[in-house]
Amino acid sequence: MSQQTLTFHIHGMHCNACTLMTESELGDLPNINQVKASLANHTVEVTGDFGVKTPEQIAEELTIPLKSHGYTISVKPFNKLGAKSWSDFKIAVPIALGFAVLFVVLQKIGLVNLVNSGNVTYGTAFVIGIIASLSSCMAVVGGLLLSMSATFAKEGDKVRPQLMFHGGRLVSFFILGGVIGAIGSAFTLNASATFTLSLVIAIVMLILGINLLDVFGWAKKLQPSMPKFISKHAHGVSKLNHTLTPLLVGVATFFLPCGFTQSMQLYTLTTGNFLTGGLTMLAFALGTLPVLALISFSSFSIKNSSKSGIFFKTAGLVVIMFALFNLINSLVVIGLIPPIFNF
Amino acid sequence: MKTTITAIILAILIIGGALWYSNKGSDTTNNVPVNNVTVVDGKQIIEINVKGGYQPRKNVATAGIPTIIRFDTNGTYDCSIAVRIPSLSIAKNIPPVGSTDIDLGTPKSGLLRGMCAMGMYSFEVEFKS
Repeated sequence: MSQQTLTFHIHGMHCNACTLMTESELGDLPNINQVKASLANHTVEVTGDFGVKTPEQIAEELTIPLKSHGYTISVKPFNKLGAKSWSDFKIAVPIALGFAVLFVVLQKIGLVNLVNSGNVTYGTAFVIGIIASLSSCMAVVGGLLLSMSATFAKEGDKVRPQLMFHGGRLVSFFILGGVIGAIGSAFTLNASATFTLSLVIAIVMLILGINLLDVFGWAKKLQPSMPKFISKHAHGVSKLNHTLTPLLVGVATFFLPCGFTQSMQLYTLTTGNFLTGGLTMLAFALGTLPVLALISFSSFSIKNSSKSGIFFKTAGLVVIMFALFNLINSLVVIGLIPPIFNF
Repeated sequence: MKTTITAIILAILIIGGALWYSNKGSDTTNNVPVNNVTVVDGKQIIEINVKGGYQPRKNVATAGIPTIIRFDTNGTYDCSIAVRIPSLSIAKNIPPVGSTDIDLGTPKSGLLRGMCAMGMYSFEVEFKS
């Protein structure tokens, strides 16, 4: 039996007698060994055996004996959107707008004109990868990556999801590139499949982006995660979620509607053999790596600093902007609306 | 800290705005219909350059004639080689170097829109009868 000491926030406690009441009620619970309530901080520290329960579940259980007295136990401080959150937005919004301008400027500069050769060497593929990662493809792949890595970073898991994503992407580009080279036919999804994929990705990014803002609690329920029937059957399910999901997303980026990826796939067709095709796509993916790594590792150093609120709100805003950008573009490509963004 | 951020944002906005407006100027010259539409042996050929977008962006042609669009690429590896014309269900990835013809059939009068697979480069052809 392992003893854990956890601190929760308690709402509704406003007198000294309340702290005594809380300590006595919680101390009566079978699995609790020690309780220490603080009126000044509105917190309660409990030591006991909680098994594998999540803090949220524990908070719910601890609330049960206290509810009749009008107290609630929660993991987060029980206040409505505090002043701190709004002041974060005051900084996050201009920064997010700055990124939007930077993105547009990058497109207008016409980086594509830097590549002129008719021959694609591994070096050319690498450079094309660099240009691709700065182009509108950033809105698709980069946006998805940012929404995923920021969401995982918020839950405390920083390194592994990112390694899984980048690893999955590099390996899949090599293997799938080799397959294209060997069998001589490219993986291009047809128009409706592309539209459906883009739509799903845009919606997922939108939800993740809104969650990052921490503004609407109801959006958290919509957050996509592993289906419950898998969660129930696998202990250590959080490990599965954090390992498999980023890996699959990394692999899936091969199929995302990014013009550069498709042009490289087209060239790979002509190589006619597995190794050349695989190495070409690998070189391309490596070219996209610096910018993508920058995007995902920005989540890395942030979590516990005081600036984390600003970072996640900025990331959330950028992700939402990219999601809308992708959503509008996928509607354009299917012919439902006229082209809006012209670079 | 706040002044630094404000300064950076302002700098980005000013530089961005300057580049945007300077690009807008060159944009209009691309939109002036050039003589890229010819009729050879009863077939209408619209010639469009493909690199970081489609030039000319706006085209004018005659309706009711069998028409093709000739896409010229020259070391083009960006999204514009993934040509999509949704109204005709055309989706073709053209090779990075050379000339590729896409058959439009016999277009009726109206506006034909085409774009790259990601939607950010587009062109249009106005078919007049």
